[in-house]
Amino acid sequence: MDPQLAVWLVARATGVAAYIALCLSILSGIALRTSVLDFLAKNRALRSLHDFMTWVWIPLGALHVTALLLDRTARITPLDVVVPFQVSYAPTAIGLGTLSFDLVVIITLTSWLRRRMDDRVWRWIHRSSYLVFVTMFVHALLSGTDFSSPFISSISWSAALGIGLLAASRIVFGRLPE
Amino acid sequence: MPSWALKLSALFITLFVLAGSFDYARDHVKNANAPLQPPVADRPAASAAPPTPTPGITIPPLLTTRPGQRPPTTTPGARLTLAPGVQSATLPPLTFTHTS
Repeated sequence: MDPQLAVWLVARATGVAAYIALCLSILSGIALRTSVLDFLAKNRALRSLHDFMTWVWIPLGALHVTALLLDRTARITPLDVVVPFQVSYAPTAIGLGTLSFDLVVIITLTSWLRRRMDDRVWRWIHRSSYLVFVTMFVHALLSGTDFSSPFISSISWSAALGIGLLAASRIVFGRLPE
Repeated sequence: MPSWALKLSALFITLFVLAGSFDYARDHVKNANAPLQPPVADRPAASAAPPTPTPGITIPPLLTTRPGQRPPTTTPGARLTLAPGVQSATLPPLTFTHTS
């Protein structure tokens, strides 16, 4: 297989898989503070899943970004990975991906440093996960090559619907006492 | 459901999506409906007017009929019509007519 073609296929596949892994991570995170998944598992198991999913989406997201850096057609530079809205041909669509990548890195790093941080600050940073999901979803919608396919589209919309329902249930029913 | 079962299920879902989307991308390498179509190459002259298609180029007959030979069934001087999406290149022609 042509290396450029392989890189392009890896970029597309890992993009979708990283999106799903992040959705599962966010879903388990919201479920920790609601009771909607009590029928499925206890909070300790959900917390364990939430932590575990970090180690699933990190390599997938890193592969997605690395493959796009190596892809000559995509023309993504290392600066575009960090600084959003810099790409010449689709600044918004790709910039939203950069923005969600930056935010998710900050959220992950602050989660690892939680014990050294003020709890209130950590919570507000962690709540930006909702923003991460919105920017990531719009990024996938505007730039996803395979988003028009029934297979990818059904998975993406189902994940978005699940997160939307859980987020709405948290807003309506509030937060469970710790 | 125990913790390990949740993790295994989540990992399985992710790997299933990874394999499925890779398989789909391999079968559909080029997607005309993709929202992003990055430029493949820099244009040599951005200010130059785009070349217009030249429909109806008439090619003179290349084959001559020998005496006593039946003429070819195809109409000599067939018209070459370019499809609407085909554009003529702005580059100089690769062939030349003079001989040394």
